[in-house]
Amino acid sequence: MAMGIEVLFGRDPALRREIEGSRDMLCRMAYAWCHDRALADDLAQAAVEKGLRACAQLRDPARLRAWLLQILANCLRDHLREARDFVDIEAIEESVAADGATPEESRVDAELVARVRSAVAGLPLAQRQVVTLVDLEEMSYTEAAEALGIPIGTVMSRLCRARRALRDALEPVAKDALGMRLRSVK
Amino acid sequence: MSLEPKVSEEMLGAFVDGQLDGAEWASVAQAVEGDAWLREEVCRMRALKEKVRHAYAVIPPAGRPRSRRRMPGWLALVASSLVFAVAGWFGHAALNRPPALDAASAYALSGDWHSLRSDWGSLKEGKVLVHVSSAGREALSSALDEVEDLLRDAAANGRPIELEIVANGPGLDLFRAGDAALAARLAAIRREHPGVSFVACGQTIERRRAAGQAVELVAGTKVATSALHEVVERLRAGWIYVRA
Repeated sequence: MAMGIEVLFGRDPALRREIEGSRDMLCRMAYAWCHDRALADDLAQAAVEKGLRACAQLRDPARLRAWLLQILANCLRDHLREARDFVDIEAIEESVAADGATPEESRVDAELVARVRSAVAGLPLAQRQVVTLVDLEEMSYTEAAEALGIPIGTVMSRLCRARRALRDALEPVAKDALGMRLRSVK
Repeated sequence: MSLEPKVSEEMLGAFVDGQLDGAEWASVAQAVEGDAWLREEVCRMRALKEKVRHAYAVIPPAGRPRSRRRMPGWLALVASSLVFAVAGWFGHAALNRPPALDAASAYALSGDWHSLRSDWGSLKEGKVLVHVSSAGREALSSALDEVEDLLRDAAANGRPIELEIVANGPGLDLFRAGDAALAARLAAIRREHPGVSFVACGQTIERRRAAGQAVELVAGTKVATSALHEVVERLRAGWIYVRA
């Protein structure tokens, strides 16, 4: 099993360190995808372990980040496939929306963070992944396409839809203002 | 007179994301330069990117080690928005700092029944807030199963327990007087365990009434200003939060 041991311990300690050092980045991304810190930790851990086991397969170290994020996306997909307890998302969204609309709604930062997260969580997973890879991790479209295993054109169209939905969710005031302006012109 | 924008939304996005090569970049840059609406769009897109980045600059602290059954992400989101709301309301929010959380609030971030069951023995607190916000007979009755289990366990071990069920949104159905089976179970719980209270969300009630629905709740149900308020107050008082 010499081969197995070599793969397990890795040939390149620097690469191993870099993979281990990517845990926070992976955890943040996983959190933006699933909004569950404990699950994010699990997914990041699984991705790091898989990365360490498979790092011999990584030909181009410059692609490490995209490669790890690809592993992370696969881990999430596997998790969702296994998860059998489906949640009534609509009911929860309704409750989030209802709770968010209290008169005390404050405009402080924490509130904005919660609103943005809620809007991101409301996106279909495929859009959520694209927009977070590009906006949080500042990945190029090519890297995002690689990480998710989709064509670049799909990255662009999903990103576009995601941003439109986020703006609709986060800029209702701006939309109203625009509507007013249009009406007053007429 | 054409309503076609000069630059497609996708191209404008790619421009903002720095994904265009020289020639494409130049042509979009030129169009943006000459068009106030496009300039505004670019600003909005940049602002949106910034908001998304900022929303995940600090993620909730890692909690206890995970239990086997996972809390669905949506529930965690709701719980974490609640905790963020706590920070916002009480002015603890600081731009780049996560909200200050005590142990019980941190517990709330991943408070599902399964983890509560495995942690119950080691938790010092005996005050449990059960938050019910989704409907469906099965969900409601399994929430009551869990409540009964917990109360029985506490009674068997002589452990003092205070338990409050707060319901809002579709979950308010739990307290509907019209549902005889649920009402009977609730009445039995109250009879056997004096430390239990039921709290309905005042806003949900108002919304239902405004929509022309009759709202009649089982006897003894208290009405809070809003479920969110109630949860926030309980969290601040150190209660354990469980999402049913």
